[in-house]
Amino acid sequence: MKRFTLGATGLTLALAMTTTLASAQSLRVTVAEYSAKTGPYFEEAAEAFEQANPDADVQIEVVPWDVLLQKLTTDISGGANADLSIIGTRWLIDFVSEGIAAPLDEYMDEDFRGRFFDVFLSPSVMDGQTYGLPVAASARAMYYNKDLLEQAGIDGPPQTWDELAEAAPKISALGDDIAGFGMQGKEIETDVYFYYAFWAYGGDLVEEDGTSGLDTEAGYQAAETYKSLIDAGATQPGVTAYNREDVQNLFKQGKVGMMITAPFLSSQIAEEAPDLDYGVTAIPAGPDGDRGTYGVTDSIIMFENSQNKELAWEFLDFIFTTEWRAKFTEGEGFLPVNPEVAAMPAFADNADLKEFTALLPDARFAPVIAGWEEIAGITSDALQTIYLGEGEIQPTLDAAAAEINEILDQ
Amino acid sequence: MQRTAPLAPYALVMPGFLLAAFIVLWPLYQLGVISTSEVNRFGQLRGFAGLENYVAVFTDPDFIGALWRTLIWTFGIVFGALAVSFPVAMILHEDFYGRGVARVIVMLPWAVSITMTAIVWRWALNGESGMLNSGLKNLNIIDTNIQWLAQAATAFPVQIMIGILVTVPFTVTIFLGGLSSISGDLYEAARLEGSSPLQTFRKITFPLMRPFVNIAVVLNTIYVFNSFPIIWATTQGGPANSTDILVTYLYKLGFRFGKLGEASALSLMMFALLLAFTILYVYLASREVRE
Repeated sequence: MKRFTLGATGLTLALAMTTTLASAQSLRVTVAEYSAKTGPYFEEAAEAFEQANPDADVQIEVVPWDVLLQKLTTDISGGANADLSIIGTRWLIDFVSEGIAAPLDEYMDEDFRGRFFDVFLSPSVMDGQTYGLPVAASARAMYYNKDLLEQAGIDGPPQTWDELAEAAPKISALGDDIAGFGMQGKEIETDVYFYYAFWAYGGDLVEEDGTSGLDTEAGYQAAETYKSLIDAGATQPGVTAYNREDVQNLFKQGKVGMMITAPFLSSQIAEEAPDLDYGVTAIPAGPDGDRGTYGVTDSIIMFENSQNKELAWEFLDFIFTTEWRAKFTEGEGFLPVNPEVAAMPAFADNADLKEFTALLPDARFAPVIAGWEEIAGITSDALQTIYLGEGEIQPTLDAAAAEINEILDQ
Repeated sequence: MQRTAPLAPYALVMPGFLLAAFIVLWPLYQLGVISTSEVNRFGQLRGFAGLENYVAVFTDPDFIGALWRTLIWTFGIVFGALAVSFPVAMILHEDFYGRGVARVIVMLPWAVSITMTAIVWRWALNGESGMLNSGLKNLNIIDTNIQWLAQAATAFPVQIMIGILVTVPFTVTIFLGGLSSISGDLYEAARLEGSSPLQTFRKITFPLMRPFVNIAVVLNTIYVFNSFPIIWATTQGGPANSTDILVTYLYKLGFRFGKLGEASALSLMMFALLLAFTILYVYLASREVRE
């Protein structure tokens, strides 16, 4: 008898649970793991959101950057994608043209739009519709090691690529394990590291006639500049063995005089090498004064097939409030995408960040082209061939441009 | 009664067969469909494409390079591991003090995931702060740091060496099983006849180990041919695709460049290649046994 009662209670309990589950609206959010702080941040935000919306059940899926696109591809092809996801804004065109990302304009009012800097929101706008909200923003500037520059007798960081080419060998001469200019030659953004010089020499990734700009004077000159730095021993040896993190590690160890990277290196230095005496300055200019900095945003998108769009929007509205934005931006070391966050003392009084924000008017974003990742891959391969000395500059870049033009034609 | 009996074996095999078919044949069918379709970046089918995807893969110069390297990679690791494992297994088969510990040490790398091993090697191979360079410098073998992963000429051999290292424990296990199956009487008889150790090896050990060598070759070929983590964790197939094998190239094609149709075509080709090799090898091996 006793057993029966227990069983009955269990059954009632199970039934009760089923009903609560059914009434709860679940929301799945895929987020990219920028650092160890990303997961806990979103979990905390989800919990706070659930407290304000007792019916909501938010599941956060944290995915490492390297496999994010793979996961999204697999999820989408199986029809098992989340409701919201962070993506690289350079992929957005593919999501929009296949009808996977939902336009957000019907939910947005002027007030909401006003929460963002226009320069960061605009890359997510396509054909007059907003398809994503900038969740992370970053730009690039040049970090330099003040001690090394001083020892080499250089006053102040180089302002042009010519000055840099002169300064770098002097720094390299300071020691066997010291390199003047830290050069990335491996893995993600190998192409971007080249664009810094390419843009300074007046290049455009896609010319006005819709073809690749690699096979222009700007491309040849920028490649020549880098190749001569390598040949002169002004970079770390074996650049094709160094990805961005590897070069950043050398910089933190005080073994690299100058390198170009994103604001997050500042927060890493503050934690890992607080004694390093460094400065941040603009990326060197070309002969005509052109400077190109790279602006990158990641966007959070809503999927067209989401069953809970209203709830998904409420969650977006929630995490884009100033309080949560400030927490995220400070934790990850990104640039503030919201004017209100930028005005907070933690950001407004940060000298490193100021250098980055000052560069934004010049910032260029990855062009909006379907198949951008493949173009980046072809470019990186061509550059590695040149850096290794396995191909002459002009023919290698011409061949890469021809390959890219085929993709651009489609 | 006798006539109905043969049904039983099939009935008993059926559940296992269905499970295997579900796991193997269903994805194969899916790959077949995707590879003959126009597919968008997200794997959604957009129409029939015939053999276009196959032609696209065949005419890609990177495919030929990766195919060639896959052969070197597979051959190098399978036979490298064989050459290392045979003597190691024979030593571990001998009775000596501390054999148990020695066996554990040889098997230990097996317990670590290949990805972790590869990542540790990536650190060890780092040009400026890697253990390998600093070790070689301390031994006065080199003066300046070697950038192991900067070019294929050094990166690919090192990757094959890591591949051999992680393949040895499994191969040794197979060989140890084989060695313990050879009856001690044979060796005793050989000793009485005055056979030298080399003769004993050539006339007794090696011929009787043949089936085990065959198993090791077939299984290792299947594992190594499709082995992704070592190359991906160290060079991602770079610089400029110079260390790509088919499976890393496949990953780039499918998940970086979003050409899922071509990627499906390539993976079917890889499957066919591997199947053909295995059938051929098993056929040759069984013919040898009959002779």
